[in-house]
Amino acid sequence: MVSSSGVRERHDMSLPSDVVACLKWVSHPGEPHDERFAGISPADRSALEFALVQAAALGTTVTAVTVGPPAAEKVLREALACGATHAVHVPVHGAMHSAHVADAIAEAVPDARWVWCGDYSLDRGTGSVPAFLAARLGAQQALGIIAVHWQGDGLVATRRLDGGRRELLGVSPPAVVSVEGATAHLRRAGLSALRTAAHAEVRTVHPAATAHADDAVVRAYRPRARALAAPVGDTPLDRLRALTDSGAAVAARGDTVTLEPAAAAARIAAALHEWGYL
Amino acid sequence: MSASTTDVDVIVVGGGPAGACAALVAARAGLSVVLLERGPFPGSKNMYGGVVYPRILDQLIPEWWLEAPVQRWVTRRSTMLLTDTQALTVDFRSEAWGKPPHNGATAYRPDFDHWLAGHAEAAGAQIITSTTVTGLIRDAQGAVIGVRTDRPDGDLTARVVIACDGVNSFLAKEAGLYEHTDAKHFTLGVKETLALPKEVIDERFGVRGRDGVDIEIIGATGGVNGGGFIYTNLETIAVGVVLKITKLGAQQQRPEQIIAALKQHPAIAPLVQDGELKEYSAHLIPEAGLKMMPKMTTAGMLVAGDAAALCLAAGIWLEGVNFAMASGMYAGETAVEAIAGGDTTATGLADYQRRLSDTFVLKDHRKLRRAPELVLSDRVQHLYPTMVANVVERMFRVDNPNPKPGVRRILAQERKRAGVRRRDLLRDGWTGFRSFG
Amino acid sequence: MIAVVVVRDGQLPAGGAEAVAECHGRAVLVGSGLAAAIDELQGVAIDVVTVELGAFQPAAWAARLAPLLAAEPAIVLPGSPDGRDLAPRLAALLHRPLHAGATEVGSQRIDLARNGGRELHTVTPSEHFVATLQPGVRGVAPEPTLGAPAVRAHHDVPAAVHHHDRDATVLEVQPPDPATIDLSEAPRIVGGGAGLDGRERIAQLDRVATQLGASTGATRVITDRGWVPHERQIGTTGVVVNPQLYLAFGVSGAVQHTSGLGNPDHIISVNTDQHCPMMQLADLAIVADANETLDALEALLAGGAT
Ligand SMILES: Cc1cc2nc3c(=O)[nH]c(=O)nc-3n(C[C@H](O)[C@H](O)[C@H](O)COP(=O)(O)OP(=O)(O)OC[C@H]3O[C@@H](n4cnc5c(N)ncnc54)[C@H](O)[C@@H]3O)c2cc1C
Ligand SMILES: Cc1cc2nc3c(=O)[nH]c(=O)nc-3n(C[C@H](O)[C@H](O)[C@H](O)COP(=O)(O)OP(=O)(O)OC[C@H]3O[C@@H](n4cnc5c(N)ncnc54)[C@H](O)[C@@H]3O)c2cc1C
Ligand SMILES: Nc1ncnc2c1ncn2[C@@H]1O[C@H](COP(=O)(O)O)[C@@H](O)[C@H]1O
Repeated sequence: MVSSSGVRERHDMSLPSDVVACLKWVSHPGEPHDERFAGISPADRSALEFALVQAAALGTTVTAVTVGPPAAEKVLREALACGATHAVHVPVHGAMHSAHVADAIAEAVPDARWVWCGDYSLDRGTGSVPAFLAARLGAQQALGIIAVHWQGDGLVATRRLDGGRRELLGVSPPAVVSVEGATAHLRRAGLSALRTAAHAEVRTVHPAATAHADDAVVRAYRPRARALAAPVGDTPLDRLRALTDSGAAVAARGDTVTLEPAAAAARIAAALHEWGYL
Repeated sequence: MSASTTDVDVIVVGGGPAGACAALVAARAGLSVVLLERGPFPGSKNMYGGVVYPRILDQLIPEWWLEAPVQRWVTRRSTMLLTDTQALTVDFRSEAWGKPPHNGATAYRPDFDHWLAGHAEAAGAQIITSTTVTGLIRDAQGAVIGVRTDRPDGDLTARVVIACDGVNSFLAKEAGLYEHTDAKHFTLGVKETLALPKEVIDERFGVRGRDGVDIEIIGATGGVNGGGFIYTNLETIAVGVVLKITKLGAQQQRPEQIIAALKQHPAIAPLVQDGELKEYSAHLIPEAGLKMMPKMTTAGMLVAGDAAALCLAAGIWLEGVNFAMASGMYAGETAVEAIAGGDTTATGLADYQRRLSDTFVLKDHRKLRRAPELVLSDRVQHLYPTMVANVVERMFRVDNPNPKPGVRRILAQERKRAGVRRRDLLRDGWTGFRSFG
Repeated sequence: MIAVVVVRDGQLPAGGAEAVAECHGRAVLVGSGLAAAIDELQGVAIDVVTVELGAFQPAAWAARLAPLLAAEPAIVLPGSPDGRDLAPRLAALLHRPLHAGATEVGSQRIDLARNGGRELHTVTPSEHFVATLQPGVRGVAPEPTLGAPAVRAHHDVPAAVHHHDRDATVLEVQPPDPATIDLSEAPRIVGGGAGLDGRERIAQLDRVATQLGASTGATRVITDRGWVPHERQIGTTGVVVNPQLYLAFGVSGAVQHTSGLGNPDHIISVNTDQHCPMMQLADLAIVADANETLDALEALLAGGAT
């Protein structure tokens, strides 16, 4: 556990915004180690757009919050350029447990009435920060939302359940809402707003404490052997099991071929014939 | 200086090497500078062969070699002459090039351009990315006073606009600075980046540590006139060809096929074998040099780098980044002086042309003005490689019990066999001597 | 270890039985219609505690369940929407770490899928914890000899709900959309992933699918780009499908995607990366550019191969 020397200035730091967008600075999945490609995930972009729309309707402003390394300030400047009024950066280094990230956000914006999050972050991807945040703020939660209808002071959110079902939730403040990517299209920042945002004030709130996530042994993803009820046939899942049972070595039982596009297409057609689909 | 009515002093369009240097110089002089780049960061989409000659940076970033994101220092340069079955290589090595201040370096453009633009930013230039310039703003007299972008509220005005938007510059064209642009003025560069372990590259190319190799190839492009290159990075190699577009069309050949054939040549295959394809990219090159250069200035605007066709693609030379950096730097200096002097009309900016003329930027282009045409001529492309390779092959052939023939006789015979007229050979030799000599 | 499974009207969530199996048959079932759910756990569950609580309310439920679970060192929830909602609230109240998105949970070792399912992070829990188990990763093999589980109803839940435990109101639960049903019941699916180079590829995918009598699905990356509606997203947070034939173009095969894929008889994968999970799952794994292959395949099929 590492404690930062930062002071807690809770009351000085509380901001006038009722509406908060939590934006995480994440690396691009295709370029995981390249900061130049890092930025706001599609889900967080949606969250910011909802926050901006809602704040405009309520006649209030948006505060963008990020917990992360110094480079994470980039996402705040982008948010400011898109129309957020305040920006708060909670500087931390290294990975933290979701609960501590939520604590840090809650400390930075204790009076938030509407908090918008992405449904999960690209790099870690647990989707749990918003729920921890709701617990900390004593707020309602509406997670994994794919559509929002404004209704009076609150909103009706459509949430995905399993089996293709949907749930409609009536949400009233204080609330934390997490949305999937592309549920809203983030507006494009104007040129002069971009220029101003580059110099705009970003407040820094040091967290009371930062605890780092557990050390983990990292390896490439391999499917786990599955327990199967059905008679074990010649199916792909079967292979899965064979794969994992045989340890780390990877040798797919299906055919692996490297082909030029035309040959690839012909091979696909041939396989579909052979299997009786064509 | 009177209070400015423009948004900024200088707008630089394009975050390549030209734009970064222009912005760096202007910002260092205390001007307010905005650099607009369409990619997500400077250099993100930029491609080239792979070797930069950064010595011009001595003037801008002291000891740049300590920090520049370089892959390898070029300590070995080869020029290869290929026929279908033969290869003649002239190979040069220099220890000195492996030490500061170095000569050429291989570098990835997303790294190099990003680093260079970082210096402009540190000097105070504001870099705005993911923003495409869509047009010029001009006053009633036609002077350039700003640019339009694809962002909402996207107009930006400045006292000087420096167009560094790369080859086939649409800004220079919109400003009417190009008289004519023609497909025959451009070559198409295509390149494959192949991954190989560092030790394999070191061994195949005979280098160690950070030393690297630059190979230029003539006669490698089949029926299409052009040239080829191979450069070594730390853990990749770049293999590419530069192709005359007019011929490419006429021959109905795809650039990928030409690279594939080059990779199969007996002299090249062992170098590239087992390389895993990481990237395939293509880009235009302004090749006609002086013949196609635009006017470099108009009221309120300067043009630098590839946008001004300041690129030297003369066979064994493939240089553009150095000319881009230098012209960007001179454009920046000119803008600073013009703004300080309160005159950003064409007259006020005229000194740019002089700076280019007095330095290697235009001197090299003048010196090598006939070279591209020579190197890409049918004779150099299709006849000479065979002739020269055959001459050398016969010189080295031990054909006992026959005695060795005299070199002069071999030359004469092979010239005839290759169908080269003596008159053409002499003239090409003279052109070559004046250009490269 | 004990599984906590949210049941709505007798219906087990995705991954519910797996979570119970992972905890060797020990479970707390919470929600409504629990008796029906117990029947579904026949052969899996051994020891079940039921807590009838009505409509789902993550905050209030966490407050009510926390005392019951306080002594349990390891609590596992399925990573279904409700499980993902409830787990953090429980962890917060019990002051424990949450290990979310696990592919395997043991008391000494937890494997977590991270970075969009590209990596496995193995952690050794140093304290009591809550975890969510990715649905579909382990499977269950019901044990026919196992009798009915021992069931104990738990009534001793504190009734008063603290003002902190505010929950959104469930207004309505909608049955699956016909559009989604179409995908989840489709016998043949052509799926597209981030390897596709442009939005137009989706239309092309549709055309190829039509030629093959298949439906089109996509990965989360594609829905995030807004190229296809969420209804077409295959995976744990999308539609769970179960086709006979799956053709994957530029799909890496992240766990969240494949665990919604059911158990196809035949998988074809076209990908430039020979080593990604989708290629390992495939009966026919073709290392090629997905886009150019689509061009060629479309031309081939249009040329009368059907
Ligand atoms: C295949 C190939 C091989 C080459 N090999 C070499 C070599 O080995 N060594 C060498 O020195 N040179 C080489 N060159 C030449 C070299 O790449 C160029 O001369 C050099 O990049 C020119 O730099 P620049 O800054 O003028 O333009 P560029 O590097 O092209 O930069 C232009 C910038 O402007 C941006 N831009 C363009 N339009 C707009 C717009 N409307 N709005 C906003 N931004 C815009 C672009 O995104 C880009 O970042 C090669 C070129 C090719 C094609
Ligand atoms: C809580 C949570 C829930 C999620 N739910 C879902 C879900 O329901 N459904 C879902 O799909 N995902 C879901 N995800 C996301 C999931 O983790 C992966 O990020 C996603 O499935 C990856 O999609 P992809 O395969 O399209 O992209 P990538 O993983 O980026 O893979 C792209 C693939 O394309 C290949 N490729 C690239 N270029 C080419 C080319 N030219 N030709 C051929 N191949 C090429 C690459 O080699 C790579 O294998 C979820 C994630 C989390 C954390
Ligand atoms: N470090 C952070 N800073 C700001 N917001 C965050 C941070 N981590 C997570 N979030 C928010 O919580 C959402 C879900 O993230 P996660 O729980 O990490 O999957 C993200 O989309 C963000 O909106």
